[in-house]
Amino acid sequence: MNELERMAISRRRFLQIAAATGVVVACGPAATGGGAAATGGGAAATAGKISGTVTVSYPDEAGFKPKYVEQAAAAVKAKFSDLNVKIDLQKINSDDYYTKLLLQLDSNDVPDVTHVSGEKIGELADAGYIEPLDSYVSQWADWSQYSDAVKSGVTYKGKVWAIPYGLDMRWLYYRKDDLQKAGLPADWKPTNVQGILDAAAAVKKSNQTNVIPYALYAGPAGSGGTANHAFVPLLWAYGGELQDKDGKWIGDSPAVRKVMAYYAKAYGDGLSPKDILTATKPWTAMREKVGNGQLALLFEGGWVYGGWAAKDKAATQANVGYVLHPTESGGPSFTVGGPGTCWYITAKSKNKQGAWETIKAVNTKDIVAKLNIEDPHPVARSDSADVAEFKADPYLVASSQALTKAKFTPVDAAYPKVQAAIQKATARVAAGEVSPTEAAQRYTDDLKQAVGADKVTTQS
Amino acid sequence: MTAAARAISGTGPSRRPRARPLEWLLVHLAFVAVSAFFLAPFLWLFGAAFDENATAYIHWPSAPTFNNFIRIFTEHDFGVALGNSVFVSVATMLLVVVTVSLAGYSLSRIELRRKDWITYGILLLQTMPLSATMVPIYGLARQLGLRNSYLGLILIHATIELPFLVWLMKGFFDSVPRQLEEASWLDGRTKLRALIEIVLPLARPGLGIAAGLSFLSAWAEVLMVIILVDQQSMKTVPLAFYEAMRNQGGYTEVQYGVIAAMAILYLMPVMAVFIGARRLMVRGLMSSTRGL
Amino acid sequence: MTVAGAGAIGPRSTGLGRTLKRNRLYFAGLTPAALLLAVFFVGPALWALGSSFTNRALVGIDAANPRFVGLDNYTRLFGDPDFGRVIVNSIVFVVGSAIIGQFILGLGLALLIDHAQQRGFRAANFVYAAVLLAWVDPTLIAGFLWVAMFDFYYGSLNVALSVFGLGPVNWFGQAPMLAVIIANVWRGTAFTMLIFLGALRTVPGDVYEAARVDGASAWRRFWDHTLPMLRPIAALTLLSITMSTFGTFIVIQTLTNGGPSFQTEVIALYAYHEAFQAHEVGYGSTIAVAMLVLNLAFAVFYLRWSRARA
Repeated sequence: MNELERMAISRRRFLQIAAATGVVVACGPAATGGGAAATGGGAAATAGKISGTVTVSYPDEAGFKPKYVEQAAAAVKAKFSDLNVKIDLQKINSDDYYTKLLLQLDSNDVPDVTHVSGEKIGELADAGYIEPLDSYVSQWADWSQYSDAVKSGVTYKGKVWAIPYGLDMRWLYYRKDDLQKAGLPADWKPTNVQGILDAAAAVKKSNQTNVIPYALYAGPAGSGGTANHAFVPLLWAYGGELQDKDGKWIGDSPAVRKVMAYYAKAYGDGLSPKDILTATKPWTAMREKVGNGQLALLFEGGWVYGGWAAKDKAATQANVGYVLHPTESGGPSFTVGGPGTCWYITAKSKNKQGAWETIKAVNTKDIVAKLNIEDPHPVARSDSADVAEFKADPYLVASSQALTKAKFTPVDAAYPKVQAAIQKATARVAAGEVSPTEAAQRYTDDLKQAVGADKVTTQS
Repeated sequence: MTAAARAISGTGPSRRPRARPLEWLLVHLAFVAVSAFFLAPFLWLFGAAFDENATAYIHWPSAPTFNNFIRIFTEHDFGVALGNSVFVSVATMLLVVVTVSLAGYSLSRIELRRKDWITYGILLLQTMPLSATMVPIYGLARQLGLRNSYLGLILIHATIELPFLVWLMKGFFDSVPRQLEEASWLDGRTKLRALIEIVLPLARPGLGIAAGLSFLSAWAEVLMVIILVDQQSMKTVPLAFYEAMRNQGGYTEVQYGVIAAMAILYLMPVMAVFIGARRLMVRGLMSSTRGL
Repeated sequence: MTVAGAGAIGPRSTGLGRTLKRNRLYFAGLTPAALLLAVFFVGPALWALGSSFTNRALVGIDAANPRFVGLDNYTRLFGDPDFGRVIVNSIVFVVGSAIIGQFILGLGLALLIDHAQQRGFRAANFVYAAVLLAWVDPTLIAGFLWVAMFDFYYGSLNVALSVFGLGPVNWFGQAPMLAVIIANVWRGTAFTMLIFLGALRTVPGDVYEAARVDGASAWRRFWDHTLPMLRPIAALTLLSITMSTFGTFIVIQTLTNGGPSFQTEVIALYAYHEAFQAHEVGYGSTIAVAMLVLNLAFAVFYLRWSRARA
């Protein structure tokens, strides 16, 4: 275990350091080294022998992915005439999808290729559900297009388990029109964490009809967003950490108490609506409301911008501002990074070669670029950033540059369980059931239940 | 529904003297309140289903359209779900009718010392909440290879109302005099033929309840489908609706209209069975205690 | 053992072999149903019991190697502060939804409709149908309809309140338990109403006639004559709706999914969440076992009572 935890830590630090260089590569027009020519070269050795059927199962809420997956499937079929690619597109959110996928993986009837968050790598690998990809990527020339930072984000216990297409990063979005009506500047930028609450309070005070000041995700309903879009950035803003130097998860600490107090303020003062705690998938409504001006402030994934832009690009550019997350005392702003949603080969797949060919086909330079333009993420493979359209989009360039200021969520098998503990703790304080101090204490208990008492520590 | 009401009240309108105006007014005020409470959600549902930009409050769309209905077929594969549901529900119904006829009749005629214990045990099973069995049924179905299969859906749905229906059919068969079938055995009929030709026709209301209830329960039931099905091609209507409801719209858009349209198609067969055989269904559902 | 008459048809047999032989066709007829019930009713109960002694999981190390953990899950269950809350929530939900809501509203509606029918008010049939409509629609749809009704921003309830200058009420934030109870009462009231309408039919008219001759007021007639006649059926109805409400899952899941922060998490939901969202099937099974045991206690009580009445 110890070795494992050490690796998680070092990998995380590595990610932070390497992200900077990776992004420089991604953004620098001339910095990429001869990628395009090598595309598909490594696969030549196995070409022609692959037959049978490959089932590709993936969730999609936004509608951006299907056409690229179909393109990839067509390319694979054209290349291997005996190979059939079956696409199992599930139009459900990634949470519902993950539960269904686990139930499937637990049986013998599994898809060959699947597509879930890179945060699940640890627990999926531990369960023996996914296939290590080292022997595949070692033969794949394009793998050199993935920076070491990206690679380490999908490496667990020394093996590569998944291929990412775009990295996760988050912005603090704000509606310029709503803030202006509350007497704030259109190029608003909070100097510290309190600045967010102040702006929200100003919006609330300005009494705009049907405008929610602020959405701070909390509780199980907020799903992954509760940790990654709310609790974790706040924790880091207040100088806290998720894990200590020995890899123990930190429960009650001064920073956690400050985060809880922040929650108590946001919900207690009616800045954030309590619907977030009970709605199914509250983020759909919250994102929609930013899009149409009914929500003033929201810290959310960079990819969400694509949904607004797809609907009305000009209005989005005019009205939706985005800034990095501030810290407690006006220190350097930052964002939360993550491995993003990745492609996996299942361990029980009966056609791993075919599965790998399909994954390669959906991760070509071209498809990765186009997909990340529509579904905006910093690209996982550096050469995709060379595509003119990508370079021309100011939002994508800003998002890619923001990665240099990103702090990454841990690649650890226990992180999903820790997220569940975070959801419980934030729900209690947001619902007004406990004081921030109590909420922090209960967080320690929940953590102990989730990951084991010996892996939890507190700080006073 | 009015016939059912008459059947239940049964006493006719003329037992008491005519009402005073004040009484008329009070009773009808209460009626308005009750009807508003019970019907308002349905009013919203119909408005929303024909509105492309449906919101959460009750209103009739300014430009009614069938687009929501078209979209559930083109974008949500509702056709596949409908096909699966019809097949599973009809197959469940057939299986249940045969199974409970045999079991009810056998239980009625069998001679055992502790027969009432069996009946008692069966009724005990009926009270087992479905939601408590979700986790274990998942595990069991996985081990038996019944997940993502029609067979699994049919067998499990057939079992849900089985205890109650066996008990119900036993009651019907108990009321059929034995002399009838015994006479027909003497005519040279086998026991099975006697059951089919002589006894079953006399238990027709019971068969009707068994058929209707098992069809409806298989059609409407969702808890088991949630844990049994994860493949798109095996999706049934309740699951399609459940998923659409939990995933309203894309990730930046809430779409009530599409889900409302699905709800209407989900609801229609239920309404059809009720309007066609309301008295039997009310009677059946009432004693099964489970509801849909 | 038992020596009984040698008659061809008799309730007593002279041995297991003869019983089997004489009834073999009936046993054959019972077999399909018995198999289904054994596999899908008894099987799950046993499976849950077995799994409750393991740390079976859907993902992570425990998914790869499930272990026997003895009574660990039960120790955890009894020390789990969330489980205590879940039990309390379940009781509040059952009392509010079944005992207060469905029962009283159902009884009231039955009396109202029965009275109106006797008066010849045609609207009674319409109201009867409206109540029934809510009952026959699948639970899922009921949940969906009430999600819209309770919506904070545009929901019909808040729009209606605003007409009177009230609200808006944040139903799920401020009164989540009340909200799920309202939705469940909406759906389930018809059952009680139907039972009592049926029972009122059996109250003989001459009881009333006699009472009216005595000059008793309507209220007295109800209290002295109608109510006592309804009492036995009332007790059974109560138990019956209590049991079906105890297992409620979908309505709550769609409305609040147990939130905010466990305020509406009932036992069925908790078992599901632990098994399929926390991915701990072993612990989820333990909760299911607890639920089955509680229900069994209710059911035995219910059946003994109803048999004693019959």
